[in-house]
Amino acid sequence: MSGESISTFQFLGLTFNTTNLISGLVSALIVFCVVFALSRNLKLKPTGKQNILEWIVDFTNGILRDSVDEEEEKNFGLYAFTLFLFIFVSNQIGLFLQIAWNDVSYLRSPTADPIVTLTLSLITMMLAHYSGVAKFGFKKYFEKTYLSPFKVWLPIGVFTEFIDFLTLGLRIYGVIFAGEMLLKMIGGIAFSGGIVNMIVAIPLALIWQGFSVFLGSIQAFVFVTLTSVYISHKVEDE
Amino acid sequence: MFSHITVGAAHGSTLYVGDMLFYAILFIVLMALIAKFAWGPVNAMLKERADRISNDIDSAEQSRIEAEKLAKQRKEALDNSHAEATSIINNAKDSGAKERELIIGNAQNEAKSLKDKAKQDIEQERADALKSAQDDIASLSIEIASKVIKKELDENSQKDLIDSYIEGLGDSK
Repeated sequence: MSGESISTFQFLGLTFNTTNLISGLVSALIVFCVVFALSRNLKLKPTGKQNILEWIVDFTNGILRDSVDEEEEKNFGLYAFTLFLFIFVSNQIGLFLQIAWNDVSYLRSPTADPIVTLTLSLITMMLAHYSGVAKFGFKKYFEKTYLSPFKVWLPIGVFTEFIDFLTLGLRIYGVIFAGEMLLKMIGGIAFSGGIVNMIVAIPLALIWQGFSVFLGSIQAFVFVTLTSVYISHKVEDE
Repeated sequence: MFSHITVGAAHGSTLYVGDMLFYAILFIVLMALIAKFAWGPVNAMLKERADRISNDIDSAEQSRIEAEKLAKQRKEALDNSHAEATSIINNAKDSGAKERELIIGNAQNEAKSLKDKAKQDIEQERADALKSAQDDIASLSIEIASKVIKKELDENSQKDLIDSYIEGLGDSK
């Protein structure tokens, strides 16, 4: 972000960041188009693209299955599926496509902005807490979350929940932001000097991009895994 | 993160609350669209497949039981037919033996009666032949005698003949 200006605008008294709006919209569109294309012409005996879709569904269901029971798996399956795909695409999109104009980038990884990752994290935490209340009632939920194992644990309980929310969002932001920044720096090296710089920078960029793809996938997986763990903390009866 | 927020603030605003709202709505809309176009159909299809597979397993089990039953039935029928065939053959043998005995008995009787009749016929024939032969011999001898008598009616022989008769007469008394 060093020295880079940001395009914002005000609407209904709220501040919007144009970059995040565009990036998020593009990511969501890509996710939807891919899923829509994969889910056409479903057959009882799966072939080709249907196998891919079923594999992704099975993958995110498998993440849930590790921490919650079967009934909850059905309830949160769609959430985990959408979350995983959206974060995955968001992580990867900035690696191969960044559009900047007048020193303002309009398209990059939306997850390279903490406000986006914290929003996703907040959605997860709200969903988890809501599910806990919906399942056990407020009294038991409160006791289970904040007053266990002892009543004096209350401050630590509150703090833990807040830390969970922060780390969930900031972990992914850190990785993706750092990845993009380094990629930008490598790009800067490539275009700052002569042909020698370019030759040095190309394999560097290649290696770092590959590594970032790996990191982005891992982070999407970790985000969904932690989501399911947090949800299971709230809805599972120990 | 904080520098970022400060940058945001420098532009004359606080946190990008609008972004949070936008992302929350975007995410919900995306989830709804995926639910409608992919998640629902895929899960329905998966459920259908699971049902189909369990049905297939059930029906396979049923078919297996049915096949076993049929095989058992067939085996029983085969055993029955073996027994039946044996009894039929035995019956046929028995009746064949009876028939044979009957035929042989009849044939023997017939042959015996034929033989008896043939014997009788031969006896009759012989008796007839003998009788006719006697007749023939008698007439022949008479003829021969008459011819001999006619030819050799001379004195000497006549005399001898008469003598012998007379002698014969004296002997017979």
